[in-house]
Amino acid sequence: MSVNQILPFFSTLIMLGFTVWVFERFAARRNPAFLFWGIGLAMFGAGSFAEAYLSLAWNKWVFFVWYLFGAALNAAWLGHGTLYLLVHRRWVHMVTGLLVIGSLFAGYLMLQAMPKLDESVFITSKPVSEQYGTKALEAGQTAPAGALTITTQYRGKEVTAVRGLLPLGTPVRLTTPFFNIYGLLTLVGGAIYSAYLFWRKRVMPNRVIANVLIAAGALSIGLASTLTRLGYGQFLYLGELVSAILMFVGFRMAARPQPDEVVVQQSIPASAD
Amino acid sequence: MAVIRSNSKSHIPQNSVLFEKIVPILLISMGLLTAGLILFAACVLLGLVHF
Repeated sequence: MSVNQILPFFSTLIMLGFTVWVFERFAARRNPAFLFWGIGLAMFGAGSFAEAYLSLAWNKWVFFVWYLFGAALNAAWLGHGTLYLLVHRRWVHMVTGLLVIGSLFAGYLMLQAMPKLDESVFITSKPVSEQYGTKALEAGQTAPAGALTITTQYRGKEVTAVRGLLPLGTPVRLTTPFFNIYGLLTLVGGAIYSAYLFWRKRVMPNRVIANVLIAAGALSIGLASTLTRLGYGQFLYLGELVSAILMFVGFRMAARPQPDEVVVQQSIPASAD
Repeated sequence: MAVIRSNSKSHIPQNSVLFEKIVPILLISMGLLTAGLILFAACVLLGLVHF
């Protein structure tokens, strides 16, 4: 087992502790932001564990967990928690309905895709994020060395494609960008906006730094995932671990109570009172 | 003599390189990166980038 294969297990452990801590905060405060963060983090942890598992062995239901929770939903649910801090709750409740329906629909589409998985292409030596999608080759484009290809009909044309676990044109893959765009906007955008507000008012320096860390953590996994899909999969597990650590430290720092007010005695002219 | 309450520890320190230079640069860079990733995801959605 290589160091790269061990990293997702560390990420999973961090996310497990992080999730428990966030749910404890929810139990104590009853703030829905903590509930959605907790659910998003649990999804992140499940995705991370699934990835670790799939670096050792194949199981189609572990792949189901990895794709649905790790690749599609977790960023959106995490970001939705942040939305509860920034927008009027009545509006957020409406978006919650859309998020739940959308997530159930994605789960349904994923279940539909399960019998069609091309399990024969799977190998443990490559990250699952480099193997999940079947990719049609453009005219003149050649398949990477060692890649398995298939010639099939797609959108009325005969195409050659690099085989992946999910067949070409699987509908569930169309839902992922929606969730990820929403997650990026709300989680990273929300953290950047919060940091900016505190910074502009020149108050709560710990929350400025905390939000910078949260944004950086969320961006690091977004970047690592994008690099993986562009063929640089070696950064993925490290990106996940960095993301888990940065977000954990950021959330802990943001939740830390502010220092008690310092009582200062000062001479003030009576007219100023 | 009057007693006022101040909260000196919860204010951003003045002339701090971290808060005057590094934080704004980080916020702008991360904002641009986020916009880039969203644009990329939108291109995937529209079929302009094939995954």
